[in-house]
Amino acid sequence: MQLPPAAVQALQVLAVLCLAPLVSGAIAHVEARLQGRRGPRILQPYYDLAKLFQKETLAPVGASWWFLAAPVVAFTAFLTVPLLVPVLTDFPLPLGYMGDILGGGLILALGGFSVALAAAETGDPYAQLGSSRAMTFGALIEPSVLFVVFTVALITTTDLPYAMAAVDRSSLAQAIRPAHLLAAVAFFLVVLSDTGRIPVETHASTLEFGMIDEARGFEHSGPALALLKWGSAIKQLVLYVILADVFSAPWGLAGSRDVGPVLLAVPILFAKAFGVGTIFAVIDNTLSKLRLYKITEFMASAFALSAVAVLVLYLGGG
Amino acid sequence: MSFVLVAIMLVPFVAAMASWWAGPRSGAAMTVASGTVTFGLALALVPAVARSQPPGATRASGGAGELGGYAVTALGNWLRADSLSLVFLIATAFLYALTAIFAVGYVSADHDATALYRRRLFAGINLFAWAMAMAPIVDNLGLLWVAIEVTTVVSALLVTIEGTDSAVEAAWKYVLIASLGLGLSLLATAVIYRAGSVVLGNSYELFYPKLLSGAARFPAGTVRLGYLLAVLGFGTKVGLFPVHTWLPDAHSEAPTPVSAMLSGSLLATCFYAILRYYQITERSAGPTFARDVLAGFGVATLLLGALYLASQRDLKRLLAYSSVEHMGVLAIGMSFASPLAIAGVLLHVLAHAAAKGTAFFGAGSVVRKLHTKDLERVRGGIGLLPWSGPMFVAAMFGLSAMPPFGTFRSEFYIVVGGFAPGSHGAERALAAVLVVLVTLAFLGLSWHVTQMMASPGPEDGSSPAKGETSKLMVVAMSVALLALVVLGVHPPHQLDTLIHGAATELGVTR
Amino acid sequence: MIGTLLANVPAAPSAFDGVTEALAVLVLLVVFAMLRQDLLRAQVRMYAFQSLAVSALAGVLAANEHASDLYVLAGLSMVLKVIVVPSVVLRLLGEVQVDLAGNRRFGVATAVLAGLAVSVFGFLVIGNVHIAAAGAAGLPVPAMGAAAATVLISFVLVMFRGDVVSQAVGFFSMENGVSVASLVLAARMPLILEVGFLFDLLVAVVAFGIIMRTHHRRSSSLSTETLDQLRG
Repeated sequence: MQLPPAAVQALQVLAVLCLAPLVSGAIAHVEARLQGRRGPRILQPYYDLAKLFQKETLAPVGASWWFLAAPVVAFTAFLTVPLLVPVLTDFPLPLGYMGDILGGGLILALGGFSVALAAAETGDPYAQLGSSRAMTFGALIEPSVLFVVFTVALITTTDLPYAMAAVDRSSLAQAIRPAHLLAAVAFFLVVLSDTGRIPVETHASTLEFGMIDEARGFEHSGPALALLKWGSAIKQLVLYVILADVFSAPWGLAGSRDVGPVLLAVPILFAKAFGVGTIFAVIDNTLSKLRLYKITEFMASAFALSAVAVLVLYLGGG
Repeated sequence: MSFVLVAIMLVPFVAAMASWWAGPRSGAAMTVASGTVTFGLALALVPAVARSQPPGATRASGGAGELGGYAVTALGNWLRADSLSLVFLIATAFLYALTAIFAVGYVSADHDATALYRRRLFAGINLFAWAMAMAPIVDNLGLLWVAIEVTTVVSALLVTIEGTDSAVEAAWKYVLIASLGLGLSLLATAVIYRAGSVVLGNSYELFYPKLLSGAARFPAGTVRLGYLLAVLGFGTKVGLFPVHTWLPDAHSEAPTPVSAMLSGSLLATCFYAILRYYQITERSAGPTFARDVLAGFGVATLLLGALYLASQRDLKRLLAYSSVEHMGVLAIGMSFASPLAIAGVLLHVLAHAAAKGTAFFGAGSVVRKLHTKDLERVRGGIGLLPWSGPMFVAAMFGLSAMPPFGTFRSEFYIVVGGFAPGSHGAERALAAVLVVLVTLAFLGLSWHVTQMMASPGPEDGSSPAKGETSKLMVVAMSVALLALVVLGVHPPHQLDTLIHGAATELGVTR
Repeated sequence: MIGTLLANVPAAPSAFDGVTEALAVLVLLVVFAMLRQDLLRAQVRMYAFQSLAVSALAGVLAANEHASDLYVLAGLSMVLKVIVVPSVVLRLLGEVQVDLAGNRRFGVATAVLAGLAVSVFGFLVIGNVHIAAAGAAGLPVPAMGAAAATVLISFVLVMFRGDVVSQAVGFFSMENGVSVASLVLAARMPLILEVGFLFDLLVAVVAFGIIMRTHHRRSSSLSTETLDQLRG
């Protein structure tokens, strides 16, 4: 039995919506286990969200309507991106042509920007600290993102993430070519920086010396905070999905709109995201955080990798 | 005649080994012997190579095939001396012989020299001369690079034997910059190899006759890249701007005999390497590109040398910048289309070797006498050094291309070649610029020479006693100066033939 | 729908091309890593790793062409550049009690950006020269771009560092770049020449070592900050 396209499309968004906190919880659990602790429950993020939805929202004096709107804007933006990338199916659904990989990146950036703007107008020193750092480092990682997009475009002559995934699946030679490997590693570093992991930021706690993304949510409370947290979990899942389904492991996606493969794709989605997250958890426990001023070295390395990927393709090979 | 080539390959090397093992005294004698023998062998090759019969008539052993010249070959075509290589070989061997004589005198007048210093100096001079003599006579573009790399290593080690802080600094800069440059020229060799493999197949030896005869069919773009890399790479060792920065330091901190060989022979030998690439490029990509590149580098180098000459404080550094200036003149000369200019360039190689040799020998005399290289402190030279003083002044005039010296004749040929009928406006402008800059250099040099030699010494009686410190130094200087004058007044006929033969080989497409 | 989009995808390089280009790019990436590295010992080990990549390249090429002289070259360059040269330099560093980290004149990010700028220049030049594909006995031409970039970045490394060991390592990595380039351009060059080049490298190492040791003995440091007396 074939599902109508609208249903598959909605299922994509719903799957990301519901699985995001689960992925966060699972990764936190794994990380704790690696450190020798028992760790929180896997379903803990759901309980946190439920608790937060019951509390009241407070806004600081002097904050405008944007302060309350920003979490909603971000949440919506992050939920739009699953429409554009291969989440459950390996062929683009009708709304999948709405934007290419560059568009997806722009929408993600819009979400982050709105939260940072809201944090900046609160007047709280920590929130402003976090927002300015986030914008700076976000600007520094953008060239790497652009060059990764260029690499994809040069390899497949299109910008669609679905096309990149299909090319990767088509032959081993395409998968191990140097440009693809370099772009994958560069994008890995981008995801690392965007989701706030070691060595850019400590995900688990808020240290004044190093916190970037964590500080932006200081002034929000209640349902707004719940949307903020949920939004960042969704962003994390979306980035993991792009990393896995576009660059490294584009298998397990449904080839048609039949019920069976589509529903099977959901747990496979979780499994892939969990796999990527475990790698990040291992890195968290292995490396140490970089000093804030050394993060530019990290950004430069990611840029170098993506630039070399483009250069290697320039001479018609690679 | 092939055994002469093999002998040239063996004699300095054997002398180097022997002088290291035998000790300072015999080392000195062996160096002088090896120098004179090598020069004699080089001269012995001249009749076989410099013939005035047109190509197409009977040839000497080996022959040059389609190249249109004569050559002596040995060891199954691995060694080859044609007129071009013979010009540079004679320049090298001449300076080798005279430097050996000078070095004996220089070292005997130095009371601080340890036995280890002497052994190192003489063995080093022999090994250095061996590598410089090998470069023009190997018939292989790759072995040419190997020979020049050996000269870099040996001369860098020679620069350090003085043992001062500034000597170590100079040696480090020299070996680093020169090695980087030679890395680029290794890349150039590989690029030319690739260009050649289109015509000659995937695996072949880089022999000159094969390369030059097939060069017309090499892909032009690849050859241009190789030529540019070669000029930049070997140009580091020639002292072309902007990669000349090691030159003043290394030439001033080395012991004076080594400085003479560095300035007089090594720069020219590396220019010879560029000329081989020039030959390939002009057959493949046309002469215009090759000439333009040399013109650009040449004028920048000449400008730099002329400007820096006036502000020098150190005697040997002054002479080093003069070498830079002369290398600029060589490059500009090669960029002119007239065969007369090329003949001037080749004559200039010989004349510059003689003039630079005399000048450095004179500087050595001054240093031995006054124990300083500082130009501010050298005064009253003519009074103190009755023989070397005036000869030093003459050498400086020689370096400024004054008549009756050989450098005047050679630079005159170059300038006339620039203004020859059929030359276009850019060449004439370049020739005019050359004259202006050489005059500027002359002003700088003569200012310093007058200060050093003609102004009265300090009156307080602190100047050393009058008289030469070593007779051998004077002998070396006078022979070099005599050669310079002979080249200017009446170059021997065979030498003329040799130079014209080499100019023809270089200017095939004119 | 995807099918029509994918109709124009250019073909991937063959397995041989892909592996060799990956190795050449690895050589390039090691130079970038050297730009970042402050510790001298780590730089030398990176050079050893880079030489291993170059020897592997020669070995892959030898296996593809069934050329025994390339095997010899690969083996020789492995012994010389992976084992001998790094141990000579590490031994010199072992004698030095101070100076474990080098001097740098500009920050890492600036150095990486400068390296990227020169790499782009290198790739553009190689792209414009259209190296003749003469019977394709050798590495594919895109590897030449990586080699040219390696040479240029090594120059940047030499310029941006203020200590003798880093500058020497910069020179050695430039030689590695030239080796990769010669594997592209002149892979079937007669063995005698290749051996000559390798032994020249060894002799150059000896010269570098002697001068480094002399400098260290005189000034008890490996920094080049004192080497600025000769000017003008």
